[in-house]
Amino acid sequence: MSRGFTKASSLGLASCHVCHLVSPVAEGHCPRCGTAIHLRKPASIQKTVALMVAAAALYIPSHLLPVLTTVELGEVTHNTIVGGMLSFWRSGAYPIAIVIFTASILIPLLKIFALTWLCLAATGRIRPSPEFLGKIYWMTELMGRWSMVDIFVVGILVSVVQLGNYMSITPQPGAIAFAGVVILTMFSAMSFEPRLLWDQLDEECALGEETVNATET
Amino acid sequence: MIRGFNRRWRALAAWPRPRGGTRYSACHFCDTLHEVETVAEGDAARCTRCGAVLYQNRRASLTRAAAFSLAALLAMVVMHSFPFLVMDAASLRRNLTLFGAAWSLSQEGMPELGLAVIVFTVIAPFVLAGGMLYVTMPLIFGRSMPHARMVAKWMYMSEPWNMAEVFLLGVLVSLLKIAKLADVEFGIGFWACGVVMVCMAAAVAGIDREELWDRLEVAET
Ligand SMILES: [Zn+2]
Ligand SMILES: [Zn+2]
Repeated sequence: MSRGFTKASSLGLASCHVCHLVSPVAEGHCPRCGTAIHLRKPASIQKTVALMVAAAALYIPSHLLPVLTTVELGEVTHNTIVGGMLSFWRSGAYPIAIVIFTASILIPLLKIFALTWLCLAATGRIRPSPEFLGKIYWMTELMGRWSMVDIFVVGILVSVVQLGNYMSITPQPGAIAFAGVVILTMFSAMSFEPRLLWDQLDEECALGEETVNATET
Repeated sequence: MIRGFNRRWRALAAWPRPRGGTRYSACHFCDTLHEVETVAEGDAARCTRCGAVLYQNRRASLTRAAAFSLAALLAMVVMHSFPFLVMDAASLRRNLTLFGAAWSLSQEGMPELGLAVIVFTVIAPFVLAGGMLYVTMPLIFGRSMPHARMVAKWMYMSEPWNMAEVFLLGVLVSLLKIAKLADVEFGIGFWACGVVMVCMAAAVAGIDREELWDRLEVAET
């Protein structure tokens, strides 16, 4: 209890994820909407790390494997996400190349780094300010969905570019791996419990006060 | 008559409604407990410790949420009736629709990707807009429909999976890719999807989650 703030959890009160009603955790389920309530999401760090590791592992094949194959007049080309971005860059379409780079390469990586950082902070291994980490957490929740754009592009191209012998496009396993990365990072961010960051801070404050008291007496 | 008036008055009364006993709100970032106080229309209550928004009292919240979700549903009908892109190449005309894209992915041996496209661009937006209308429209009159709590719960759970705006960006990128090969044009579906995106954002931002649930609770008692 640092600086006179009362935590809901210290009184055994839990706030519902779905409807935000504060009720005693002993009831088990939210009396208003029926969702299971917890003081903190159970096994939050373990789930976040597990999903994040799975996403990181899939990130490699998602960029090494082709996401689609183009057959143009009998000539077969395999396209990766990076290859598609580079061809936009070479043809001078810089804004679209930057959009693809950000959505498909940068955001998943940043999300994996941000989640690692948040987990380290929540377990007390590093000590940045919780306000700043709160912003990072909010960003990871907000940005992740935009990576899905490449999967939609694959779907659209496969659907539209079906011109018989002249040209056709088929989806490849890289697309599934990439969709896996996006969905896993979204679940990983949802499993993270931001209140752990503040618990950690309070614990350190309490420890600090104890040592001060100990030296005074 | 008096009863009906009473119901209506209760629904339109200032929110958060002061009720018997003290009510609490806990910050979702730092878990600091706050006593719920009534905030003026257009204002937000913030956490005294970390500054995160606890709840907001939006202007004309129920009307805005209901009107924008109805508009989003109507735009959704248009979005599904017209193509997003129309392409002319090699004397062939091809149209792009959401269901068409999902169907092609399944036909090409990737039904799981087809399903993902349908869930993120058709089901999630429909649950969000339809659920919002189902819950907020009767609340304007201080009433609630059967199973409104379950619908509201599903609506808020589908929120992070609604990717209409991401699909729009995908259409733009694809258009630039295809423009080299053939004549492509935006169809009415594309513009309708833009309207869906804007209306949905306005509907969700129109009413605070805490307010919606509070009013629902009041209407049901
Ligand atoms: Zn609840
Ligand atoms: Zn707070």
